[in-house]
Amino acid sequence: MPEAQPGREVTAALLTQLAQSLGPLFLEAVSAADMDEAAILPDGLLAAVDAVRAAGFNQLLDIGGTDHHPLTPRFEISYHFLAFPPEYLEPGRINSTATPLAPARFRLRVFPDDRDPVVPSLCGRWPNADWPEREAWDLFGVRFDGHPDLRRILMPDDWEGHPLRKDYPLRGLNRRFNPGGLPGPVPPVVTK
Amino acid sequence: MSTTDLSIFAAEKDLTAYPGDERDTLVLSMGPQHPSTHGVLRVMLRLDGETVISAQPEIGFLHTGIEKQAENLFWQQAVTVVDRADYLAPLSNSLCYVLAAERLLGIDNIPPRAQVLRVMFTELTRIASHLVQLGTHAIDLGAQSIFMYAFEMRERILEIMEFVTGARMHQSWFRIGGVALDVPKGFLAKMDDFIERFPERLTDMRAILEKNVIIMDRLIGVGVISAQEAIDWGLTGPILRGSGVPYDVRKAFPYSGYETYDFDICTHPAGDCYSRFIVRLDEMHQAWRIIKQAREKFPDGPVTIDDRKIIPPPKTEIQHSMEALIHHFKLVSSGFNVPEGHIYQPVESPRGELGMYVTSAGGNKPWRVRWRPPSFYNLQALRRLAPGNLVADIVAIIGSLDPVFGEVDR
Amino acid sequence: MEMMSPQQPFITTKLDEFIHWAQSSAIWPMTMGLACCAIEMMSIVSPRYDTSRFGAEVFRASPRQSDLMIVSGRVANKMAPILRMLYDQMPDPKWVISMGACASSGGVFDNYAILPGVDSILPVDIYVPGCPPSPDALIYALMQLRRQIEAGGKANVLARA
Repeated sequence: MPEAQPGREVTAALLTQLAQSLGPLFLEAVSAADMDEAAILPDGLLAAVDAVRAAGFNQLLDIGGTDHHPLTPRFEISYHFLAFPPEYLEPGRINSTATPLAPARFRLRVFPDDRDPVVPSLCGRWPNADWPEREAWDLFGVRFDGHPDLRRILMPDDWEGHPLRKDYPLRGLNRRFNPGGLPGPVPPVVTK
Repeated sequence: MSTTDLSIFAAEKDLTAYPGDERDTLVLSMGPQHPSTHGVLRVMLRLDGETVISAQPEIGFLHTGIEKQAENLFWQQAVTVVDRADYLAPLSNSLCYVLAAERLLGIDNIPPRAQVLRVMFTELTRIASHLVQLGTHAIDLGAQSIFMYAFEMRERILEIMEFVTGARMHQSWFRIGGVALDVPKGFLAKMDDFIERFPERLTDMRAILEKNVIIMDRLIGVGVISAQEAIDWGLTGPILRGSGVPYDVRKAFPYSGYETYDFDICTHPAGDCYSRFIVRLDEMHQAWRIIKQAREKFPDGPVTIDDRKIIPPPKTEIQHSMEALIHHFKLVSSGFNVPEGHIYQPVESPRGELGMYVTSAGGNKPWRVRWRPPSFYNLQALRRLAPGNLVADIVAIIGSLDPVFGEVDR
Repeated sequence: MEMMSPQQPFITTKLDEFIHWAQSSAIWPMTMGLACCAIEMMSIVSPRYDTSRFGAEVFRASPRQSDLMIVSGRVANKMAPILRMLYDQMPDPKWVISMGACASSGGVFDNYAILPGVDSILPVDIYVPGCPPSPDALIYALMQLRRQIEAGGKANVLARA
């Protein structure tokens, strides 16, 4: 377990707690340059998120996806959290000219299965988890179990494939609308 | 631990019935081509007469694949593509990306002149973005002359941008390691002129708008969100500050020397559209204060770091030195490698906390540039803010959320 | 109807000139602002680059009331059918200006999501380069379009697709 850096006592304690409570589902705790982070398996996500929430992290900032193909595990879903201390909610408590106490930050990285990536959905816990999970499904193909309405959000509804995967070509599989309206092949990708 | 009532999602899917309501409801598509949606947004409104029961925004009409495009460009080339996401404040995106890449590289000795230039231009971009928001919001509410005032001030800012960087929008002027070129002669005179004229014009606009009966009638009490809910919905920026939470990334996690400037965090307790409006007007004033302090500081010195592996040598040297030529060739043909790792870099864009989670695999192209777009999360809150308001209020709410679709859809 | 000589029909020429003058003096653009170029398009209505002196100040939101579609911004695959539908709804005679590099050729982006130029789906009259084009460039394009209309460039409107 990494040493607690100044300002990171809360997250260091959280990392220890997660390591103990999740057991084999906990992969790694890292004290990265920007914030503390924990790598876990999807089955432990809901328990981990409850622990994170209990430690005071009340804002889900972002849910993002990354494809590490050809490495395994291939998919990574990263969750960023922000902890606003209660002083932020009391009007006038923080003087607007002073530098306020910085909210703590935390990151959770979840590594689902390569063949059939499924991650539990956070829609029941935070209302703003809806769209980023749809985006991760649309662009990466990672399914979110328990999401009420998992469908494409950025690509057209009848699009095939998940564009941000590393094995999806940059120019796409076929072009829907061609220059001059004439049908034609997609120009080949020149790789170095 | 709070749980979200998932039935709100179910009600939207079923377009023919709404639980507990026997009357007919009208489904209206406020389509992607609309003068007041500030871009390509479709809002599926379910209306009971004039009152909105639910509003479900649909996005994706401007999806550009910027993230995938950035994965296929060198680290320094990706700055050009990154600019085009939040197109009202292009330098904010550049700053976020450049800071993230610099942290991955371990560069912490950006020269002071470059820091001051970055801060000055990011604040100019903030004022320009707020002016567009003000102008378009006012024109949605019917005040057409404010659009003219706001865009005239914006033209002065864009003139300065063009004078220094060569482009009005999408400057792509920041580089990993500093800024691209130093400012030309005559820049300080232009900045002094702007610093002198801007407060008076801002006061003019405030005088017309702040206590205007129509603006107050249309914005007060519309789209109210409390501080706790704003935090739950992941809102940041003027919307969170308009609900009274004093969170500003420039104060909480300072970057680029912001801790050395004296400015306030602008908040307003009410949480409705009017308070966001006031917050943005105040922020323009604070941005002007920062620019004034930056102008007073303006140190001499180089504008890039001295590392030839990251920044190409000056052209005059390339003509004399073989080593400089080789450095330039290497940088242009195959870029530089960034050590493996990942980092999340937050920045205060005019819309909220813009974050980039950049992953590097040790190569000369970014492996993954994940945006944390503030407008994406702000727009999601439309589903929470819209119900109960009239159709005309939807326009006011969308204007006060200030979405930029280049950023929402990327 | 030939008055002066069989080679130069007088009245219909004068009538054509009059119609073209009327069409070119009051071109009403449709608000087709997609992305960054839309901001520069809004700037042409601002006091510095005033287009109301050219008659093109009135931006109509409804396609039924406009005759110029300025496609300003990158066209994504999801937006393309909507663009075509709007173009079809515009009454004749209509013109299209493809503003910016992304609308003309795909621009900076060469990927799965963006149309390689809006002329994949619409017939374009004027292409304006730039990323984004300065409002001066757009006004120049508008002037070119006016010259084209006055010269009878869109002579047989019904034959265009």
